[in-house]
Amino acid sequence: MPDVEIKTLTMNFGPQHPAAHGVLRLVVEMDGEIVERCDPHIGLLHRGTEKLIEYKSYLQAVPYFDRLDYVSPMSQEHAYALAVEKLLGITVPERGQYIRVLFAEITRILNHLLNVTTFAMDTGALTPPLWGFEQRELLMEYYEGVSGSRMHAAYFRPGGVHQDLPDGMLDSMDGWIKQFYPFMKDIEKLLNDNRIFRQRTVDIGVVGPQQALDWGFSGPLIRASGIPWDLRKSQPYDVYDRMDFDIPVGKSGDCFARYLVRIEEMYQSARIMEQCVAALRTVTGQVRVDDRKISPPRRGEMKGSMEALIHHFKLYTEGYKVPAGETYTAVEAPKGEFAVYLVSDGTNKPYRCKIRAPGFPHLQALDMMTRGHQLADMSANIGSLDIVFGEIDR
Amino acid sequence: MAEPLQELGDHIAQATGDAVMAVYVRLGELMLDARPDGLVALITFLRDDPRCLFKQLVDVCGVDWPEREKRFDVVYNLLSLKNNQRVRIKVATDESTPVPSVASVFSSAGWFEREAYDLYGVWFADHPDLRRILTDYGFEGHPLRKDFPLTGFVELRWDDVQKRVVYEPVKLTQEFRRFDFLSPWEGAHQVLPGDEKAPAAAQEKGKTS
Amino acid sequence: MGVITPAKPDPVTEAALSRALNDELADKGFVVAQLDKLITWARTGSMWGLTFGLACCGVEMIHCWMSRYDLDRFGFAPMPSPRSADVMIVAGTLTNKMAPALRKVYDQMAEPRYVISMGSCANGGGYYHYSYSVVRGCDRIIPVDVYVPGCPPTAEALLYGVLQLQKKVRRTGTLVR
Repeated sequence: MPDVEIKTLTMNFGPQHPAAHGVLRLVVEMDGEIVERCDPHIGLLHRGTEKLIEYKSYLQAVPYFDRLDYVSPMSQEHAYALAVEKLLGITVPERGQYIRVLFAEITRILNHLLNVTTFAMDTGALTPPLWGFEQRELLMEYYEGVSGSRMHAAYFRPGGVHQDLPDGMLDSMDGWIKQFYPFMKDIEKLLNDNRIFRQRTVDIGVVGPQQALDWGFSGPLIRASGIPWDLRKSQPYDVYDRMDFDIPVGKSGDCFARYLVRIEEMYQSARIMEQCVAALRTVTGQVRVDDRKISPPRRGEMKGSMEALIHHFKLYTEGYKVPAGETYTAVEAPKGEFAVYLVSDGTNKPYRCKIRAPGFPHLQALDMMTRGHQLADMSANIGSLDIVFGEIDR
Repeated sequence: MAEPLQELGDHIAQATGDAVMAVYVRLGELMLDARPDGLVALITFLRDDPRCLFKQLVDVCGVDWPEREKRFDVVYNLLSLKNNQRVRIKVATDESTPVPSVASVFSSAGWFEREAYDLYGVWFADHPDLRRILTDYGFEGHPLRKDFPLTGFVELRWDDVQKRVVYEPVKLTQEFRRFDFLSPWEGAHQVLPGDEKAPAAAQEKGKTS
Repeated sequence: MGVITPAKPDPVTEAALSRALNDELADKGFVVAQLDKLITWARTGSMWGLTFGLACCGVEMIHCWMSRYDLDRFGFAPMPSPRSADVMIVAGTLTNKMAPALRKVYDQMAEPRYVISMGSCANGGGYYHYSYSVVRGCDRIIPVDVYVPGCPPTAEALLYGVLQLQKKVRRTGTLVR
């Protein structure tokens, strides 16, 4: 029998592809239907965010962070605000911290809703996105009520949040949380015991705990692989140390485990939201730090007082100067550990702002995860990794 | 709060010989200045030593200080889940000296080092796959260096005659308006134009009065 | 209760219209209409949109297709393949690396094809206008019909943009575009 030379087929997947979750170009080498190697080409959304930030003042840099992981905008702002506050050496008043935690959890639910439902859509289930996106719309109404924009809020700023909650929002949130639990049960009924969904996700993309640590996983991916690590519990920031919630940890490290971890995290986020809403009814005070050298005065005050006018002018033109130093501040973003490495040289503009996005190392591990799987499992893997190119490419 | 961090830093510095040049603890964060040749051994020690157990490499990035001779700082951030600690290692290098790659120690370093190479031009020795990752396919230059202009050198448009995208020199319809509002009163140390003789004049006034 | 109900058709004109149509058919056996109007009615009634979501505007685009601002009821179905799509919605920032791919996808679309540029990044570079790796507006690469401003434009704004495109098609409707 003569030697037969088998050549692998090199195929281009993306950048325009419905299951590529944004602009991902995968060059896949395949042996028939089995994937031998895949090489992700990223950078198709590289907008030069870090370079642009170096030319803006600290306040002007806040909206860049919204546009990084655009399905969970406020968690990036949170990391940046915490980093700048660490360098400035200020603490946010309690009410501001509660509002931050409340909106961070709203953001987590926003993100997981999009991820779980579009993951289901990738595997063929078309109903969950339709239901899930209506819940997202309701949550985006809260974003709009508090900041004016449905998605890119620029609400968490160094020093606190921009402005207080409008009247009636807390009651509305109570109502939303009450209807959220039955909604989640409906989604679970559709997907959890669904034979097709299970066949497409169980034992696909299995990542063991040692591998997860080696490849720099964080967030739901590392928890699904069996390691109970959550920055909200281990290195708490804002008022997370006062919140009572659990962390779901998976066992098998496959796509199904990641999906289940995200579903359970949504329940826990709703639980944290309840506690925050209850606390916000009693905790009063400022929502941002009182130091007029850092947070601008209210408009009414600015139009009346000369000092307030001068502070307003100085803060919106020059901005506040941050003392020289560097910090690496991480938050538990819905996708994993989102961190900002901020280097300041004492002026009013950041000297270097490195954005550590959780999706970057996760996508790197796609090659490892998809080896030996079929091409259809590729989209299941990408979906469960929760990839968003705004933060990977920056 | 700073005590155990400082002790940990000193322990690392002692155990790795001359790989660590300096240990700082600032704002509750431990930082080590390391030598490039001892880097791989240092990172391996940090991963395996029972007091350290920094099992995750969370970030590798570059920082450009153009006034220094060794203009680039390659910064490694590690995380220990067991001890709930973070540590930062900084290695200084210039444009032509390669830094040993830690991709053999931590698989996650692969892409981070590619990014540092792409955006700064820092070379990594023994890297499995060092090529551009974020910038365009034929991009020339390293964008995040301080001497690279914000708008770059080339821009893109579709040429209907040649039926392909063409790169042309950048022509902005509106200049990037750089407002340098750094005030001359509080804390700024730059000399305003026309003010060069001011310190000398102030000194003279001090002598005569 | 938050559900958008379609406007009730006016019974008088509806009856008159269907009576006229039925009379015409019964009388002659065929109906005469302006060819232009017929063609544009067919074109605008079922414009399939290519989902070219690049960045944040892509999420608002998805929202436009979902339950609240249902684009499907306008006949605007999502179609991932360019070969069968009529409209391309460029949603998000176009970078230098992505530009050739965008042009390739546009070339794969069949005539008549339209382009909606969604969001300020696609309109003119937007928030990233001064960056080294961003194309300052997707109209440097492809011809654009409707520009939808916003950062991101709300799903409602995109819906308005789609309706504007339909108006444009009706206004400039010819057999050969």
